[in-house]
Amino acid sequence: MDWFLEFLDLPQMRYAFLVALIAGPLGGLLGSFITLRGMSFFSDAISHGAMTGVTLGFALNLARDVGDPAMQLTLVVFCVGMALFMAWVLERTTLHADTVIAFTYTGSVALGVVLISRLRGYRVLEGALFGDILASTAMDVWIMGGLAVLTAGFLAFNLRPLTLAVVQENLAKIEGYNTRRLNYAFVVLIALVIALLLRQLGALLISGLIVVPAAAARVVAGNFRGMLTISAVFGLIGAAVGIFSSYHLDSPTGPTIVLADVVILTLCLIGSSVASIRAARSAQLARQGRTGLIE
Amino acid sequence: MEAGRNHSCGAGCSHHHPPPDSGRPSPALLEVRDVSVDYEDRAVLTDISFNLHKGDFGCLIGPNGAGKSTLLKTMMGLVTPTRGKVISHARQIGYVPQQLPLDPGLPLTVAEFLSLKLTQSRFWFGAPKRGAQRARIEAQLDEIGAAHLIDRRLGRLSGGEFQRVLVAYSLLNDPDLLLLDEPLTGVDIRGGFSFDGLLHHLHEHRGITILMVSHDLHLVEHLSDVVFCINRDLCCHGRPDVVLRPDNLAKAYGHMPGMVPDAGGTAFIPIRNIR
Repeated sequence: MDWFLEFLDLPQMRYAFLVALIAGPLGGLLGSFITLRGMSFFSDAISHGAMTGVTLGFALNLARDVGDPAMQLTLVVFCVGMALFMAWVLERTTLHADTVIAFTYTGSVALGVVLISRLRGYRVLEGALFGDILASTAMDVWIMGGLAVLTAGFLAFNLRPLTLAVVQENLAKIEGYNTRRLNYAFVVLIALVIALLLRQLGALLISGLIVVPAAAARVVAGNFRGMLTISAVFGLIGAAVGIFSSYHLDSPTGPTIVLADVVILTLCLIGSSVASIRAARSAQLARQGRTGLIE
Repeated sequence: MEAGRNHSCGAGCSHHHPPPDSGRPSPALLEVRDVSVDYEDRAVLTDISFNLHKGDFGCLIGPNGAGKSTLLKTMMGLVTPTRGKVISHARQIGYVPQQLPLDPGLPLTVAEFLSLKLTQSRFWFGAPKRGAQRARIEAQLDEIGAAHLIDRRLGRLSGGEFQRVLVAYSLLNDPDLLLLDEPLTGVDIRGGFSFDGLLHHLHEHRGITILMVSHDLHLVEHLSDVVFCINRDLCCHGRPDVVLRPDNLAKAYGHMPGMVPDAGGTAFIPIRNIR
């Protein structure tokens, strides 16, 4: 037991553990709807584009490092603005969604790199690219908790219209829901979660935390409610296993969490392939049995 | 606007004024009054007026891009008309949307989908495994011969099965008017045959007034008792044997690829049906 809980003796591990335990299920729940609505690329674009938010924070001398609260605020403003812009362009153009997202996000990354090259070199971006969950403070735990309450509340309050819109947007409209407002609220929520998780997981890895548990849940769930529950549980398990392993393997924590999620997804894929091969084989045996009787 | 008019059908085949209706004594359930819809600068519908009466089985026909779906969406309040209005006296309207491709991995089950309609509050947490709501869903699926689909995933249904589920969904609020948007697209022939039986049942036995957009003129002739032929404006309306005459259809469709007049010259029928 001592060996098991020993990693919690380090104070920075305790905060990191709490942040991860909240962020895991949060990412899983939000990710369920992001994947169902086909918006994985959208959240990817915001997290990569957020790099420009970081460089802007440095360039305008708003913050000294990535962990600065002023930087968090800059990121929130930048990510929400970028999400609203992309959603607005998507609503108004005949261009394919992938195209709009690609030009917004490559444009944003390019701008970020140009800005940072004039500042102090790329090193300052390292924290934003890969994140540092071990730098979490008590404040981060509170922020994460608030974000989790907001996300869970938003999804619970809008589960019916969101789910109807996944089948067909008109079905939600007929029930009297303002789907346009709901779409905008949803992209703002994605932007908030990404902006506030960037410091812990980094621009390159946030998508993993959001998309991977949801994808795994989708593979094994028998129904919709099951998918939401399993996705949150997978997020939780991935976070706990990731933190624990990173301590004992002495590996970077954020990437280890994402790796744990990927292992869960791989196990689910293998499990479901085995199950479908078995089902096919038993169906074949049943057919052979029947023909045997006729002969 | 003018360009739009060039493609419309101009004068109709039967009395255009006063506002056409099916000539039945029963009261109008749906009044379409001078409805025009413009998308940006393009006229999609121009001054459409007609009445649908209680007990009618109406069909909306017309070429692709004629505005049939838009008209149905206007009736459902999904599209706001540029001019004119739709007045509904129906107690409840059921709407079966055009089938759009569905994510095949969507884990939503048929029971969950139907429970989304039955749950009136914003809060919905999946379908109950037993109880009154489950019984209501089972009964509805049973009526349309789809009881076996209840725990299947929506994304794994065939076109015909999904169509039935959409009809079940639209029936859950017990409508007296049912609007169907091309319910037979994506349905195989066998599915199509049982599907017209289902429509007949809803019309004759449940007494539901129906308005359906359809491309299948054979089915329209077989099922409907009033046909509205539109191509941006209302070209023609009336009993199917009057409207579905080659000269009338030629006015709306211009020419009809794949269709030929039948032996008596009274209707266009698809070439695939000629043996």
